[in-house]
Amino acid sequence: MYIKKVLFVILLLCGSGYSQVAIIANKSVKLDKIEQAELLDYYSRDLKFWDNGDPIIIFDLKVKNEIRDIFYKYLGKSSSRMKSIWMKKMLLGEGDPPEPLDSEEDMLEKIIETPGSIGFINAELVTDEVKLLRIINDED
Amino acid sequence: MNQSLIRIIFIIFILEGSSCFAQSWSSPIKVFGFFQTSFYESMHLGGSEDYNTFNTQQLNLFFQKELAKKWTSFVNFEILNNFSSNKQWGSLNLEEAWIKYYAGPQFTLRLGLQIPTFNNLNEIKNRTPLLPYIVRPLVYESSFGEFLALEEMTPERAFVQTNGFIPISKSKIDYAFYIGNSPNINDNSLYDQTGIDTTNTLLYGGRLGFRISDLKIGLSATYDKTNAFKYLEPVVNVAEGFLEKVQRTRLGGDLSYDFHSLRLESEFIMVNYDDDVKELKFDKWFHYFTLGYFIDEEVFLYYSYWYTKEFYNYNNPASSTLDIKNGYIKVVVPTVGLSYHMTERITFKGQAAQARILDSEEFKLLEEHKTENIFSLAVSVFF
Repeated sequence: MYIKKVLFVILLLCGSGYSQVAIIANKSVKLDKIEQAELLDYYSRDLKFWDNGDPIIIFDLKVKNEIRDIFYKYLGKSSSRMKSIWMKKMLLGEGDPPEPLDSEEDMLEKIIETPGSIGFINAELVTDEVKLLRIINDED
Repeated sequence: MNQSLIRIIFIIFILEGSSCFAQSWSSPIKVFGFFQTSFYESMHLGGSEDYNTFNTQQLNLFFQKELAKKWTSFVNFEILNNFSSNKQWGSLNLEEAWIKYYAGPQFTLRLGLQIPTFNNLNEIKNRTPLLPYIVRPLVYESSFGEFLALEEMTPERAFVQTNGFIPISKSKIDYAFYIGNSPNINDNSLYDQTGIDTTNTLLYGGRLGFRISDLKIGLSATYDKTNAFKYLEPVVNVAEGFLEKVQRTRLGGDLSYDFHSLRLESEFIMVNYDDDVKELKFDKWFHYFTLGYFIDEEVFLYYSYWYTKEFYNYNNPASSTLDIKNGYIKVVVPTVGLSYHMTERITFKGQAAQARILDSEEFKLLEEHKTENIFSLAVSVFF
């Protein structure tokens, strides 16, 4: 009986550390959902403009954390690989890397105020001031 | 028909451009760049003297400005080898100066001096922060120009290029087409304006590629005509002007693949001269592969193997008759190295290589076969 209780507590603890990442966008973005390949095109700067001609603004997190790890895993690229892609684009005059932000709260704020922007935060932080495009789990 | 098409394209650009300017789209000029400083120790096995040296190999300064919506200008100055005009060291080069119109991912047009797309490395060969190497794979290493015909192996300049990609399901078809000068550039101020193509021929080239997930492959080709062998006309007994425009084709292939922490990169380049003189042979071949492993996100360890074979013809200058001798020089370089991204802007590199320079047995071009062991350390800084 005692062992069952311990296992239950461990499961609860594991559960409470489980994070979901929300892909969010500014309300001006004409998308309702997003697929992995499309997101990778935006983040790798292969696509730089929305269909209406407005520039696609992307953001990144400065500090490595679980949310950023889940996001990069979903993209299918390590953060070093993404940095190398951004550096290549920049040195070839093909585009700028995303602006790195200090926290998810900063990212939420930036996306609320920047038309055409897209980013990612902990799903628990999502408000109705942004568009929710997708929820990704660690297993995705 | 062609002229009508050109006129239509011209009008579209003018209209598109004027509407963009009307929106007062402008951004401040961005100035950025990088440099790489290295320590290099060369140990020759037999013959030549050993030496070691510190060297600021390269400093590149970029100026970029968004001129209007979808219009970007870019200028790249490159400074080599501890440049000092006072001491007559190194060189300062205008590498790129172009304007780009980005219509969409399927179509980008660049006009002006630029480094054309050819295989995987040509465009980025001088972007040292992107490369794990200190000494680059042979035909991409400018300091090997003394014994390798680098400018014959890869196209170095173009002036008009279109490129883009076409998505097909989860894959992408990349393309690039460009036009530039033929290789006949005058470098003697006594005869004409320097830097100018002295013929009415041009360079045409391009690359077709395929990308899916972490696999990237491509085929590249160029076509131009050279007058570099005109001096051989009397000795191969052909009419004057016969070797005025010798056709040259380059064919290249590239492959890159990332698999978990492993990275494979590989290329080949084949250069053929169609001179219609059976005694002459100037063809060239190059290939390399690099197998690397990311020990963690910042540290990359690699082994790389480079190979070139270049045919040469020689005719005794004292002889006025056909006395052509064919020979080749081969360069074989196995190398290992490591790069460490200390921060996003600072990369430390280490590399050890053994370069073996060999020639044909039947006709000696070198006094002796050379082997050189190279050890180098470098720091590459992006600013």
